[in-house]
Amino acid sequence: MVALSQALLNGLVLGLIYVAIAVGLTIVFGTLRLVNFAHGAFYAIGAYVGLVIAQTWGLPAGFIAAPIAVAIFAILLDRFLLRPFYAKDATSQLLVTFGIALIVEETLRLIFGSTTQQYPVPAALATSFSLGAFTYPAYRLLFAAGVIVMLVLVWLFIERTDYGLIVRAGVRDRTMVQLLGGNIRQASTVVFALGAAIAGLVGAAASPIYSIAPGTGFAFLVPSFVVVVVGGLGSFWGAVLGGLLIGELQSLTTLVFPPAANVIIYLCMALVLLLRPQGLLGESEVIRQ
Amino acid sequence: MKRFALLTLLGLVVFPFVFHAINGYAGLATQILIVSIASIGFNLLLGYSGLLSYGHAMFYGGGGYVAAIMLIRLMPDQPNLWLAVIGATLAATVLALLVGALAVRLYGIYFALLTLAFAQMVYFVVEQAKDWTSGDDGLQSFPVALLPLGPYNVNLATPLPSVPLGPFGNLGDIKLWYVFAALVLFGVLLLVRALTRSQFGEVLTAIRENEERSSLVGFNAPAYRLAAFAISGALTGLSGALRALYDGTVAVDSLGIDRSGSFVVYTIVGGVQTLFGPVIGTGIIMYLESVLSAHISYWRLVEGVIFVAVIVILPAGIIGTFTKQAAQRAQERRALLARSLQPLSK
Repeated sequence: MVALSQALLNGLVLGLIYVAIAVGLTIVFGTLRLVNFAHGAFYAIGAYVGLVIAQTWGLPAGFIAAPIAVAIFAILLDRFLLRPFYAKDATSQLLVTFGIALIVEETLRLIFGSTTQQYPVPAALATSFSLGAFTYPAYRLLFAAGVIVMLVLVWLFIERTDYGLIVRAGVRDRTMVQLLGGNIRQASTVVFALGAAIAGLVGAAASPIYSIAPGTGFAFLVPSFVVVVVGGLGSFWGAVLGGLLIGELQSLTTLVFPPAANVIIYLCMALVLLLRPQGLLGESEVIRQ
Repeated sequence: MKRFALLTLLGLVVFPFVFHAINGYAGLATQILIVSIASIGFNLLLGYSGLLSYGHAMFYGGGGYVAAIMLIRLMPDQPNLWLAVIGATLAATVLALLVGALAVRLYGIYFALLTLAFAQMVYFVVEQAKDWTSGDDGLQSFPVALLPLGPYNVNLATPLPSVPLGPFGNLGDIKLWYVFAALVLFGVLLLVRALTRSQFGEVLTAIRENEERSSLVGFNAPAYRLAAFAISGALTGLSGALRALYDGTVAVDSLGIDRSGSFVVYTIVGGVQTLFGPVIGTGIIMYLESVLSAHISYWRLVEGVIFVAVIVILPAGIIGTFTKQAAQRAQERRALLARSLQPLSK
């Protein structure tokens, strides 16, 4: 029972990381129709920037610096490299963003080395909450709460602001939004930077929980793509549902039958792709491209 | 056809010697030829049916493991290279037919992710099936496969007779493996050239350009794509089997995402939709990797920069750009000729 509860909580924490990365992927896809293989790189850059800043100025400074640095990087990418690719087919986009991911990973390796690093949990938070029969690290609970708050803010941004309106309309019918005069160009830059900043912030915040290495970005990206596909590309709630589902599935399989933990999520994605290719909560029109 | 065959053979004969002169070595030349076969297979799928697979490592590593396991389990006393290679290629074909039957109805990102998912499943299953695959350690020291040719059992590790060739090395540096790999690659090039020039290749291209129209004309688009996927998987499996037998080892990396990504890089850098692009791309990247990684630790960064630069600046790849320019120049010459032949009436 204790083991099960702990596995469920671990699944929640892992799932929330996936949700946060997947939400960025999905809103970027919604506005730009960009399939971004470099999104994991944002997570890794955030984690390393957070680590470096936190070592000198403390963890809160790291949490502020990471999303800002990543957002600036994303804006530069958008402006100088990716723009010509927005109108191209998904295959070209996958290729160029895959290349960017490769470059970022190797640059991080060059600067920080290949060894895995971990930022220690701050002393004030290095305790455990007592949850009835067992205890759970306080930092993890706080992390989960923080990600949920952030997701609520993102949801409010999408539902309540003009940019959000363009994002939602863009998922439905991109051409129509442009015809009606919606400034997709500006909105897309904002959304791209926002998605990147979320990934960067989560990267920094998760580094006391999961260790980081240059390849971590890609290691989190692949399951996040699974999440987006399972939930439905372009759907906010799809990303939330898919992320929690995949996180729990992975965590519970680790508890029951560890060797299958890495296979199960791909099996899950394959099943969804074959039975309901638009994803659990996705719109059916985005499949063919 | 004759000219093509002669020039290709000439290139394959000259390659290891020229390669020696630029600091390459014969073993690397052999590996390049072997891995090129996989890139050719990958390009057949990406270039002619427009499908980007991020899971081709499942065929490459799968071929390697099947060949190694066949040698260890089925013929430890009489290791037969033909049987191991053919068995591995057939296994890769069957795997490709199974995965392809599900995947060819999807497009773009969905196709890429489904192939990635299957490759990851194969990776983790192989890693966990420790009794057969030794898990993370991989398989080493399996029986050296001999190549039965008539009455002889040829060991491909036999070097050619020693003949010093100055700056071009020594004929004796080259093992029979190189000759064998070159002949297989030559056969694969002939096959793929014939395929892409046949009606099959034309229909495939037509489906890529406009599936709806091709289907309305009566072509079964998924069946064509499945055929392309199966041939692509078979070639990649063949390559993986040869590489495992040549190296004498096969490890789980050969099934990983990085491996799948490497075929993408090789093919794009060399030139997608060209016959020799994948070979040239594989050669350039593997050569640079071997030469540069000895001097600089951030070789993979250079690889990434080359890859992105090619995509942004030369989307047709190195070979593709040359042939495009050659075609353009030929057209300009023709136009010039036509103009100069016009009577000077004005």
